[in-house]
Amino acid sequence: MEVLPRFEVVRPSTVAAAIAAHQGGQASRFVAGGTDLMVNLRHGLGTPERLIDLRHIPALCTIATENGGMTIGAAVTLAEILAHPEIRHRYPALATAAGAVGAPAHREAATIGGNLCLDTRCVFYNRSAWAREANGFCLKHRGETCHVAPTGQRCHAAFSGDLAPALLVYGATIEIAGEASLRRVPLSDLYAEDGAAHLRLAPNELLTRIYLPPDPWPALYAKARARGAIDFPLAGVAVALRAEAGEVVGLRAALTGTNPRPFLLAGVEALHGERLDESWLDRLGKLVQKQVSPMRTTLLAAQYRRRVASALARRLAAALGGMTAEGGAAA
Amino acid sequence: MQRDPPSSQVKIRRFRLNGRMRDVLVADSTLLVETLRETFGLTGTKQGCDGGECGACTVLIDGKPRLACLTRTEECEGRDVETIEGLAKNGRMSRLQRAFHERLGTQCGYCTPGMIMAAEGLLRRNPMPDAAAIRAALAGNLCRCTGYVKIIEAVEEAARQAP
Amino acid sequence: MLQNRRAVVGQPTPLIDGIEKVTGTAKYTADLPIADALIGRILRSPVSHARILRIDTAAARALPGVRAVVTGEDCAQTYGVLPIAMNEYPLARERVRYRGEPLAAVAAVDAETAAAALALIRCEFEILPAYETAAAALAPDAIPLHPDKPGNIERAVHHRFGDVDAGFAQADLVREHVYRCAEVAHAQMERNAALVEYDPARDSLTIWSTTQVPYYVHLMLARCLEMEASRIRVVKPFVGGGFGARVETLNFEIIAALLARAAGGKVFLPLSREESFLTHRGRPETEIRLKLGMTRAGRLTACACEVVQRGGAYAGYGIVTILYAGALLQGLYQLPAVAYDGLRVYTNTPPCGAMRGHGSVDVRFAFEALLDRMARELGLDPFAVRRANLLTAPCETLNGLRVESYGLGECLDRVEEASGWRQRRGRLGHGRGLGMACSHYVSGAAKPIHWTGEPHAVVHLRLDFDGGVTLLTGAADIGQGSSTVMAEIAAEMLGIRLDRVRVVAADSALTPKDNGSYSSRVTFMVGNATIDAARALLARLTAAAAERLGVPETAVQCENETFFAAGNDGPGLAFAEVVRAALAREGGAITVKGTFTCPVAFQGGKHKGGAVGATMGFSYAAQVVEVAVDDETGLVTVENVWVAQDCGFAINPLAVEGQIQGAVLMGMGQALGEETRYEKGLAVHTSFLDYRVPTIGESPPISVHIVESVDPNGPFGAKEASEGALASFPPALVNAIADALGLEIDTLPVTPDRVLDALARRRRAQRLAQALEEAL
Repeated sequence: MEVLPRFEVVRPSTVAAAIAAHQGGQASRFVAGGTDLMVNLRHGLGTPERLIDLRHIPALCTIATENGGMTIGAAVTLAEILAHPEIRHRYPALATAAGAVGAPAHREAATIGGNLCLDTRCVFYNRSAWAREANGFCLKHRGETCHVAPTGQRCHAAFSGDLAPALLVYGATIEIAGEASLRRVPLSDLYAEDGAAHLRLAPNELLTRIYLPPDPWPALYAKARARGAIDFPLAGVAVALRAEAGEVVGLRAALTGTNPRPFLLAGVEALHGERLDESWLDRLGKLVQKQVSPMRTTLLAAQYRRRVASALARRLAAALGGMTAEGGAAA
Repeated sequence: MQRDPPSSQVKIRRFRLNGRMRDVLVADSTLLVETLRETFGLTGTKQGCDGGECGACTVLIDGKPRLACLTRTEECEGRDVETIEGLAKNGRMSRLQRAFHERLGTQCGYCTPGMIMAAEGLLRRNPMPDAAAIRAALAGNLCRCTGYVKIIEAVEEAARQAP
Repeated sequence: MLQNRRAVVGQPTPLIDGIEKVTGTAKYTADLPIADALIGRILRSPVSHARILRIDTAAARALPGVRAVVTGEDCAQTYGVLPIAMNEYPLARERVRYRGEPLAAVAAVDAETAAAALALIRCEFEILPAYETAAAALAPDAIPLHPDKPGNIERAVHHRFGDVDAGFAQADLVREHVYRCAEVAHAQMERNAALVEYDPARDSLTIWSTTQVPYYVHLMLARCLEMEASRIRVVKPFVGGGFGARVETLNFEIIAALLARAAGGKVFLPLSREESFLTHRGRPETEIRLKLGMTRAGRLTACACEVVQRGGAYAGYGIVTILYAGALLQGLYQLPAVAYDGLRVYTNTPPCGAMRGHGSVDVRFAFEALLDRMARELGLDPFAVRRANLLTAPCETLNGLRVESYGLGECLDRVEEASGWRQRRGRLGHGRGLGMACSHYVSGAAKPIHWTGEPHAVVHLRLDFDGGVTLLTGAADIGQGSSTVMAEIAAEMLGIRLDRVRVVAADSALTPKDNGSYSSRVTFMVGNATIDAARALLARLTAAAAERLGVPETAVQCENETFFAAGNDGPGLAFAEVVRAALAREGGAITVKGTFTCPVAFQGGKHKGGAVGATMGFSYAAQVVEVAVDDETGLVTVENVWVAQDCGFAINPLAVEGQIQGAVLMGMGQALGEETRYEKGLAVHTSFLDYRVPTIGESPPISVHIVESVDPNGPFGAKEASEGALASFPPALVNAIADALGLEIDTLPVTPDRVLDALARRRRAQRLAQALEEAL
């Protein structure tokens, strides 16, 4: 039974105060729902002295409609997103993704910001302190070797948040607040392809808002997991697709669970302007297979995650293109 | 070796627990499950895993299901916490408790308090759930004994009884 | 006579301890008063196999707040469940044999201090070669884990019954195939924990523990602590499931006791979920090479089976497991000839043990899967093949198992009908299918592990002035409802209300010894002992009533808490009156004893190991599983299960249903997702995210059909009800997948990656065949 480190909790009521409360480095951590952080702390992953609770900042806890799009505060819970009629109606892939996370009690606590900033996961990392120490630790935390790819010098822990791909295909942007800065960037700029440092955030920078642009394309999210609930995605896929007269005029696909970061599928332009048929789906499937790089970070085979990511992308595109009757809520 | 937390990290927190206002002196890093079990002796809230995986510690906070093993006690300040011990009124079992008992929704009983609290949260927002809604609401509560069939039947039975 | 009076038994009855469970007042080990206890923690080996050169605990002992540190030095006695195979120390001595094995333990004033103390213990090892698989441990150059077991073979079994060669010669079809089953774990929801209070003034201790076998814990504590058994008290509080994980004394129980004695006080030793997984005792990884011979009509002519089990680092129940695997090939169908070769192998992984369906599950998977494969080849219906091989009770199998009641035929009829097998099979559309399989299990091992010459079960009934009947039993209710069954039996026999019976169970200071809750022995054996005790008490009450009524004892009847003379219209005597009369007559409170002993005739064949598998009553089960297989994602969804079980007689039909549903879902877990995994010997499945117990989300409707063959020896005809249905789920599932996609699966669990692999293999084979055909 592992013992939580002793820490204090501060409750700022503004973003500025939250950032000011951060002492830099790893000694302070922002927390909202805590469904990821508290588990990791119980496993001895990190020993912060101060947690900065973001749930007391009203500005981060609201959902608003602005300029035809929507703005979601980073501390809005997944349950709130799932229950929000306008999100469900206009951005269904986001609602599906929110509903695919964990179980209801997790979703009551977990937030959109937390899900986007989720720590990367690996069977050699999400373990007890005893097990990690027995293994000589790992590249991501206190160690020298990546047990997934021992000859390499990179951490392959996989990003496992469900919401990112949905937001990526909707073209979401995010607001990041720092000590003396406020920047708005595409969501994809938040991430780097490095399991040990996958967030492009300074320790005292804070993801504050998520902007969903107006006029969303039809989009779906699907998650591969072994059980009907609880599990993190083995692979998660979002696809947004616009078709006119049977022809694809717009396509975006994004993936999670397969790489150290969630990412938008590159090279989809080659699939624009064509009929959505079996061979088109094959090409989409191949594109996915080529770009995902799952490693041995889960107990189910990495090769499976590659295959199923491709299969789900095909399935979602087919559904959006009207090829099949079934929707995309496969989970 | 006892590392007492600095006194700045220990505060009196006031919250409603099973209908009674309570003041408790806790460290910021104290988990709700510890406070419930060790300070208040409410051992009905169980721990089956090493954090966030089994649902045995499910309680209601402001009527919503939450995992007491991932929730800090300080988060509950000013809020309404309900545990399995708070469901029976004047010794009368709640409709869910009665249904779980009579329909054998419990065998070893270890998942039962968390399961009932998750079901209670469901019935408060959806008084007549179908089997799919019950499955979705209890998806985070693992049971190793029942095969879940009688748990679903028990929730359906409780829903049929007026509260 | 017994079956005619069913005021209580046969009625669906909520658990007599159910109210505590639903209200949260039930006290499990971790819920007991521990505020004044020291907290114990165990230091576990980081290496798989090594000689221990040094364990330096000086710094840990010097840490303020540490009250006791113990190592292998503190216990020179081995422990184990089988008297012939006790080769485990509670804390490793000289050698450590798996990653996670306890090396040392501390008791301290709080968990933080205990954790800090562990970090101060220094260990030095001389690393030895480690063997994670049975094959590696069996390699000619492998060093033995245990000096007395060369080749790392814990037990080799070679059994021959009937003329196997002749049987295969008579067959129209002979097929041989290899099946593999992953190691699985019980994953009972309550984590392991023990609370021990040691009284230094009296040199006595009391343990409360998460056990299914308080008596075995008692024996091993006396042995390992070298204490007189009378100074030890073992209490089983509420227990959060077992499934076999807790059917032997476990290291943490002895360690907690060693710590409490060393600290001279009270120690609470809770294990984490990870540690509970490392303590293990699950179902071993098993490879089965099975060969069956069959006539065109589906009659089995011979069976040859080779089984290799990866047993882990210590003996545990291993010898019994490898014997069960062979013995329970028989007892389900008519088998004219059987050859069995089993190998139980020592490896550097956590020790395996007994798990629900002990020994039978993996072999039954292979058997029922191959049976279906051969049926397909012969164009026979799976039900027809099973029916072609039914036994006729009473009978004795080639290996000396007695079958006294046999409801398998009715089980088959019930699930065939309920599932709509004939109308629906083959008409469900792409990716959907129906599969079926059968299984059986014992109602208690007829020969106990510890031969003491005592009865198999003893029950006391106590009656005093308040008119309450107290039933004292050592049987451990771990959620299966055994206390409720005993109360029902006593109430039924005495003609009284159920709530007049209170059960006091599993406290060595109060209750008669019981071997424990395993091998589904409790309903059958303790149930029969309860009948015996109730008869004795009824005789005393009847004598008193006869005196009062002025009639001979033979004329007295009791029903509905009233004693009356047969044929007499008078009001009769209320129970309370008779109790008063009996107490006056007997000179105060009455305590009676009931016992049960399995006759030697039921204790199995004369061959070596012949006692394993022998029982007085086999349960039988048949089930149909409906699946939908997604051939793009490989996900298998179980849509429906219809299961019938012959439990002899359902004393508590509500509990029987619940037990069967639980067994089916545990079978589904093993079939679809559960699997322990080791990376260089380090367990990596030790959470509920990585060890995938089914959630309610993918749990199917499970429709239960109770078949009552009324066993001549069971209490009210009852037999086993909680294990038998597990083993037929995995084969029914793979048979359903074969029906859905024509895909043959031979490895458990059937995870989505394995399904896609199998589909890819088949596509390659088809392409190759096509290319060959075109080339020709």
